[in-house]
Amino acid sequence: MNWKLIVAVTVLTLPAIGHADGHWGLESSTLTYHISHPLHQIDGISHAARGQGTCHEGQCDFLIAAPVKSFDSGDSNRDLHMLQVTRGGQYPIVTVRTRLPESSSASSAISADLDIQFAGQTVHYANVRLEQTGEGKLRRITGIVPSTVSDFKIDPPSLLAVPIKNEMPVKVEMTWRSE
Amino acid sequence: MNTPAANDSAPSLGDLGFSPEQTQGSAADQAQLDKRSHMLKIHQRWGLATTVPMIATLLVAPSNKSNTSARTLHAVLGGITGDMYFTTAFYAIRAPRIPGTKDKGPIRVHKILAWIHGPGMILTPILGAMADEQRNAGQKVHGIASFHGPVASITIAAYLASILAVSIKF
Repeated sequence: MNWKLIVAVTVLTLPAIGHADGHWGLESSTLTYHISHPLHQIDGISHAARGQGTCHEGQCDFLIAAPVKSFDSGDSNRDLHMLQVTRGGQYPIVTVRTRLPESSSASSAISADLDIQFAGQTVHYANVRLEQTGEGKLRRITGIVPSTVSDFKIDPPSLLAVPIKNEMPVKVEMTWRSE
Repeated sequence: MNTPAANDSAPSLGDLGFSPEQTQGSAADQAQLDKRSHMLKIHQRWGLATTVPMIATLLVAPSNKSNTSARTLHAVLGGITGDMYFTTAFYAIRAPRIPGTKDKGPIRVHKILAWIHGPGMILTPILGAMADEQRNAGQKVHGIASFHGPVASITIAAYLASILAVSIKF
């Protein structure tokens, strides 16, 4: 009888031992890319990102992902061109991965190394400065990823034979909830 | 420092609730986007090029006392404009539609204006031919043919506005 109890307890507790220590869920987000052209200043916005963070042994792994087609610049024709030049048909999701120390949830400034997968390329951005506010279970993270069109080997789109500028900063505003 | 690394505990796209259909791209979808962009680039180039004979046609528009050769030059330039215009339109009409896309922004104005300059590009040469016939018969241009100039002007204005609508942010 006792061995049955031991097996039952072991089976029930093993997943808990192997389970991550902490968990974060992305509650809301606004991702905004900005591109410049002599005739236009364009902001494409997505509120469709999903994200999770799992913490284990003092380290938290975060994944944030958004469909490329969810970015809205206010012009459906331009958005479809964006989808084409960024190879969004073939690579429909943009993902951001980062690993942060669990203790950083208490810091107002975070320096994060980001791996961004977009347009079929994975680009590493080191020491991206993020600001953090909030307390309790909620954290608001803001920052700018200094990405460029050439980082992702994107042919710069042009209008009237003039291409857009290479800089393509992405403003990040996210609210995370500790679960 | 904070090196992102994939490990067993790191979340996956599946954990975020994305289905495999959402995360796996398709070469066919990309090919359709490529074809659409390619055709619309040609549409843009032909559209801009069409403004040259269009404006030239307007500039050589014959006056009331014009001779036959002036009217012929006007008609030839108008014919070139029409051919280039309908080539431009072909590439826009035949470009693949992407399912689930709703027109938004300046492209809506661009497309609405096509309902003005499109019929205008059909009507203008018909009215022009009628006016030319009346002139050749020694008559003063009259009836519906007298609308050739105003219809052409509205057509050109709508055409140039449709280019500006997608070029300049108002």
